[in-house]
Amino acid sequence: MEKRSYPRLDEEVFWDRLPNGLTLAVIPRRGFSRKMAYFVTGAGSLHRKFTMDGKAYCAPMGVAHFLEHKLFDMPGRDISAEFAAMGASVNAFTSYDMTAYYFSCTDHFYPCLRLLLEMVTKPYFTDESVEKEQGIIGQEIDMNEDSPETKIFEDLADRMYEVHPVREPILGTRQTIAQITPQVLYDCHRAGYRPENMILCVVGDADPEEIRSLAAEMTADMPCPQVVMEGQWDEPLLCGSGESHRQMEVARPMFQLGFKCNPLEMGERGIYQEFVGDLAAEVLFGESSELYLRLYEEGLIDPSFGGGLDTVPGMAMLTASGDSDDPEAVRDAILAQARHIVETGIPEADFLRMKRSTLGGRIRGLDSFDSVSFRICAYHFSGFDYFRFPEIYESVKAEDVQEFIRQVVVPQRCCLSVIEPKEETEI
Amino acid sequence: MTETITLQPGIDLRCCTDTRFKTNCLSLQLVRPMRREEASANALVSAVLLRGTENYPDLRDITLHLDDLYGATVGSLVRRVGDYQTTGFYCSFTEDRYALGDDQILVPVVDFLKELLRKPRLEKGVFCESYVEGEKRNLLAAIEAQKNDKRVYASSQLMKYMCAQDPTGIPRLGEPEQVRALNAGGLYSHYQRLLRESRIDLFYVGSQKPEYIAQLLMPVFQGMDRNYVNLPEQTTFCDGGKTRQEERMEVTQGKLQMGFVTESTLNTPDFVPMQVLNTVFGGGMTSKLFMNVREKMSLCYDIGSSYQGGKGILTVGAGMDHHMAETVEKEVLCQLESCRRGEITPAELESAKASLLSSLRAIPDSPSSLENYYSTGALSGMNLTIGEYMDQVGTVTVEQLARLAQSLELHSVFLLKGVQ
Repeated sequence: MEKRSYPRLDEEVFWDRLPNGLTLAVIPRRGFSRKMAYFVTGAGSLHRKFTMDGKAYCAPMGVAHFLEHKLFDMPGRDISAEFAAMGASVNAFTSYDMTAYYFSCTDHFYPCLRLLLEMVTKPYFTDESVEKEQGIIGQEIDMNEDSPETKIFEDLADRMYEVHPVREPILGTRQTIAQITPQVLYDCHRAGYRPENMILCVVGDADPEEIRSLAAEMTADMPCPQVVMEGQWDEPLLCGSGESHRQMEVARPMFQLGFKCNPLEMGERGIYQEFVGDLAAEVLFGESSELYLRLYEEGLIDPSFGGGLDTVPGMAMLTASGDSDDPEAVRDAILAQARHIVETGIPEADFLRMKRSTLGGRIRGLDSFDSVSFRICAYHFSGFDYFRFPEIYESVKAEDVQEFIRQVVVPQRCCLSVIEPKEETEI
Repeated sequence: MTETITLQPGIDLRCCTDTRFKTNCLSLQLVRPMRREEASANALVSAVLLRGTENYPDLRDITLHLDDLYGATVGSLVRRVGDYQTTGFYCSFTEDRYALGDDQILVPVVDFLKELLRKPRLEKGVFCESYVEGEKRNLLAAIEAQKNDKRVYASSQLMKYMCAQDPTGIPRLGEPEQVRALNAGGLYSHYQRLLRESRIDLFYVGSQKPEYIAQLLMPVFQGMDRNYVNLPEQTTFCDGGKTRQEERMEVTQGKLQMGFVTESTLNTPDFVPMQVLNTVFGGGMTSKLFMNVREKMSLCYDIGSSYQGGKGILTVGAGMDHHMAETVEKEVLCQLESCRRGEITPAELESAKASLLSSLRAIPDSPSSLENYYSTGALSGMNLTIGEYMDQVGTVTVEQLARLAQSLELHSVFLLKGVQ
């Protein structure tokens, strides 16, 4: 395996790519008891339309998440119990652009890793188990219906995007998941869980070579079909000050503002653009900005306020969200501040301070096993080696941030999603 | 694992020297008895202190200063541990060796902590009125926002009803009426009293030796006019009577909360076995509740239990179609019955133990979990080191668990219903 060192961060990573295309990353953590493995595919809720070996497929909304639940099934076995017997906790999540399976343990690392690889690479679905899962996921969908944090983003995405599938809920709906059958799951598994579309990332005091040989053994007979995922969406950049309002059982109005950005490029260029977007959020309305102080003192925002750049393949948006009695006033203040920054520029000293602060935060994030695993995988799918973040941060130029604000933070690119408290009704 | 140094009577520093981390943590807690009349004031005061000091008079001055310290974060820390409430700060910052050149982080963070505690920005001799009013608004919003997460809301409603006569029934952040009644003058004199009388607990995780940290922190408390008052001991559950409550909200999914009581607490020898029972019963993906009520019967999406050793209360929480609440409740009792009969397989017992051991073993791998384990342990009276805790987990038997399950008695139930 190739060892890369990152002396500024006191880190090293063992990288490799197996002949079948699977990427491996091992981040040693000597002296720690905990060990964590993430086995991740670059297929998420977005990737339900594809051609495989020349045939076109269109799976129902929510299929990636459904698949995530069902991979925990193996004939006659209880995977969670097997992990639990080794003191490991196993879990998984589905996002727009990836599905991750992971465990954390302190003992029995290699048997746990073998089990994780086996579970993800050996699908097993029956009519009966699919039907049962429809009940469980139906409950999860209901739970999301009551979650203002989920609804506010779904409303925003639906308002801002015309074509891009970020407008579809990750879980799908009760209607769409009713269309899922074992065959649909087998097809999506075959298409999305190709070794070349996957990464295995281990954080902890474990032997890279042993991980490599185990991964090679367990993924040897994975199918490698020819797959082209739908990945180009002809999405306009203007969305014209749309607003969405919904009433829910919340205490105070909640808002999420979005500004539509150009989708990021792949590789280093894309990460540079992401950091530009993050720093733009800091400059505009970060905690040390003039605007934050003013809005906070006026009571228009509270400690729940925050924002940054949200990115998914084919889309990116600058968001700001929080609780406020007057979300429109917050939006207008951000737009006005953007005009001000475009006119006056960003003072160099402020810019350096913000970079230093963001850098410190990212370095501290390296103490978290979960955060390191997640970022290594997510950035891998963007074609970037995450541990190189300090040098990219340092290279970001203030004028690029200013230009980003000039282009993006304008009314024509902006949408606002608000969740309002329910009006009192007789019940 | 940790070393404790007493800086002054009632001011203790616990240190965990560890060179593996990039993050340091330093927490400071003023410890109070949990009382209805001061809960809101305690919750509010740390937020007001974070609004401005003599040298950093407003929020932006503070943030700019912290940005200079490589984005150190200093946040308000308000905990409830049994009969105690704490208020103070949690600082998380980058280890000095990752700073550029000769930049220092630890020493200025300690200086800033002193500034926060000792030199708040004052107006006419008391806290700034606008800061107090602003943070009152935020605290009210935070209290009301608890309703947004229905699971959290249902669980706090259960506690409120079940513990009407016990400090556990007092909301951690107090009640809205009390928040509204606070003013700058009253809050400032309350703060003076906190500084004078409270026990102060400090906790540090990082690469430096305890003696050095003690020497750095000593000046923070120098010249304080202290009259330390011993805290009353933690008490056992004060039972105000069983109750069943329902509430309606316009939600899709209902939330059921069941509260059980037991004689087993932190202060009895079966605290650790009770944690094992909780894990077998409802603590995670291999528990009886998860495996049966969710996996076998598909009755709900989330279900689990948790055990508060301080008071000997075990709660079960579930989210389901509210028409199914009765069925879920019956099934929960049915699963408890099977624990009482000792129907716990060796695999269930071993999984529960392995899962507890694994999470205990992982505590020293993160600064914040170390802080949480030892800081709350010191307050609750749970004085087991991680090693001792693990040793006790190892010896638990099925017979013990069955006996403990028999000791659990259903006390109160809360149901949040949808409207349709």
